[in-house]
Amino acid sequence: MNVPQDLRYTKSHEWINVTDEEVTIGISDFAQSQLGDLTFVELPTAGDSVTAGDEVAVVESVKAASDVYSPVSGTITAVNEALEDSPELINNDAFGEGWMFKVRLSDVAQLDGLLSATDYAGLAPGDA
Amino acid sequence: MPSPRGYFWNAPVPYAEAAALQEELVRARIAGRIPDTVLFLEHPPVITLGRRGREDYLKHARSFYRESGIDIIRSTRGGDVTYHAPGQLVMYPILQLSGSASASHGYLGLLEQTAVETARAFGVEAYTREGMAGAWTDAGKIAAIGFRLKRWVSCHGMSFNVQPDLCGFDTIVGCGLEGEAVSSLQAILGEAAPTVPEVRTIMAGIFGRLIRAPFSLEAWTDEGLG
Repeated sequence: MNVPQDLRYTKSHEWINVTDEEVTIGISDFAQSQLGDLTFVELPTAGDSVTAGDEVAVVESVKAASDVYSPVSGTITAVNEALEDSPELINNDAFGEGWMFKVRLSDVAQLDGLLSATDYAGLAPGDA
Repeated sequence: MPSPRGYFWNAPVPYAEAAALQEELVRARIAGRIPDTVLFLEHPPVITLGRRGREDYLKHARSFYRESGIDIIRSTRGGDVTYHAPGQLVMYPILQLSGSASASHGYLGLLEQTAVETARAFGVEAYTREGMAGAWTDAGKIAAIGFRLKRWVSCHGMSFNVQPDLCGFDTIVGCGLEGEAVSSLQAILGEAAPTVPEVRTIMAGIFGRLIRAPFSLEAWTDEGLG
């Protein structure tokens, strides 16, 4: 399973790229592989404030719909509008072009509660 | 991890009631108050549209369905439009997929495999089709799939035609697939077709084996909510 070392993760299979006080969030390669070919992505709106654990987005494949949660509190500063026309970007490049939204953190200490790549890789099932 | 629990109902459960119960079970499962739980039931006649199901797959005006006693409900599941009625067995697994054996093979495939093996257990050859979720026989589609994940706990799931009145399917473009036939065990096997309780016992056995966590079936009581 593809788990980039430089990202942080949640048990619900979101990834977080922490560069500064603005973080980028998406769903992991494992998550996209479980859902299959995505057909629709419902994104939050830039400017919305979010609390860690809020349902902020929905990803849908032909037969499945799954919520996506914000792992952190803060303000949505950007969303990946390319996903509206091309949800398959998440299937093709979950950790890159398939990013979903960015959040300006209101509480940097929340980052301590996120999983490391090693912890996350130990949590998800292998590619058995 | 305790064994899953399996429950059945002997009378049809209204769709909205079953949806509300599943929401409660999903919350309880996320909170760890209950183990994985699998529901087996039938619905009174109802057409459900998935989150993005298109109303133009309804072939008639709303009044037609009202007069025919068929409810139309918007569901939170994925997928398009489908029809449920007594004689069709639905299986709704409330399963924590994250970290379970089922997840590594894909939950969609697991539901399809369950439908295919259930049909075969009664001597009906069924198969999956590339890019089209569900299970099919030479006579038509026998099982439909649409599910929802919340924190990687599943709800909704699969419907399997044992002996429903198939006419209801003629009023919709099932799953948005124009010109696709729908079938049932009864349509294929005639008098030799099994009953819904017989099928649910077999299906529960197959599903339990596929998730590597066999479970027994009992009649639903509110104790199932933990």
